[in-house]
Amino acid sequence: MSKKILDSKKYIVYTTICKEKNFTGGAFMEKEKRQKDADTLEHIVEMSLLYDFYGALLKEHKREIFEDYILNDYSLSEIATIKGISRQGVHDIVKRCSKELERYEDNLHLIDKFRKTKESVNEIHTIAVRVKETKNIDEIAKIEELSNQILEVI
Amino acid sequence: MVKIRLKRMGQKKAPFYRVVVADERSPRDGRFIEEIGTYDPNQEPSVFNINEEAAKKWIANGAKPTDTVNKLLKIAGIL
Repeated sequence: MSKKILDSKKYIVYTTICKEKNFTGGAFMEKEKRQKDADTLEHIVEMSLLYDFYGALLKEHKREIFEDYILNDYSLSEIATIKGISRQGVHDIVKRCSKELERYEDNLHLIDKFRKTKESVNEIHTIAVRVKETKNIDEIAKIEELSNQILEVI
Repeated sequence: MVKIRLKRMGQKKAPFYRVVVADERSPRDGRFIEEIGTYDPNQEPSVFNINEEAAKKWIANGAKPTDTVNKLLKIAGIL
């Protein structure tokens, strides 16, 4: 397996069974365009996170369509055919669902809290592992501080 | 028609995706023909892993990548 960092900030791409000459393809793409593609992917990840937290609040019919679009990567017209409604109708429902989910996050901030808590807990974990090795109890103070931060967030 | 799709896997709150080749008509339960890659946005930076040979073979045989997969393949420099 070979490895190449295409866009150092956003992606590491691993391609298996790859010939060296094919590697450069991505590098020739204009930067802006690649950024746009990366943003679309990020949008999908963001939407599926919103779905994880608040999806259960969507009405069943809307939820199914949103699932197909965001989680199963079906196109609008494919969903339209499956559900027997217009492509525009599917588009509206997806849009309305996204708005609804975003509104939940704006008011409840569960994802934001989840991210901050996770970050702090990861830090605590790292410190704990380090303290186990170094027996440096001074670092405990940092753990205390982090746990206070978590309490503030939740 | 055969499609190349992104398929959400992973636990709740930790999205992880597979790039799969599936029949257009395959049911929502997600049966697929072959897995040709993964996309993991949980890591910083995101990790995209693709079997280039399989991807090219499927596309040459008429499999159609979805818009999203298309974007991934472009980022990888395969398309």
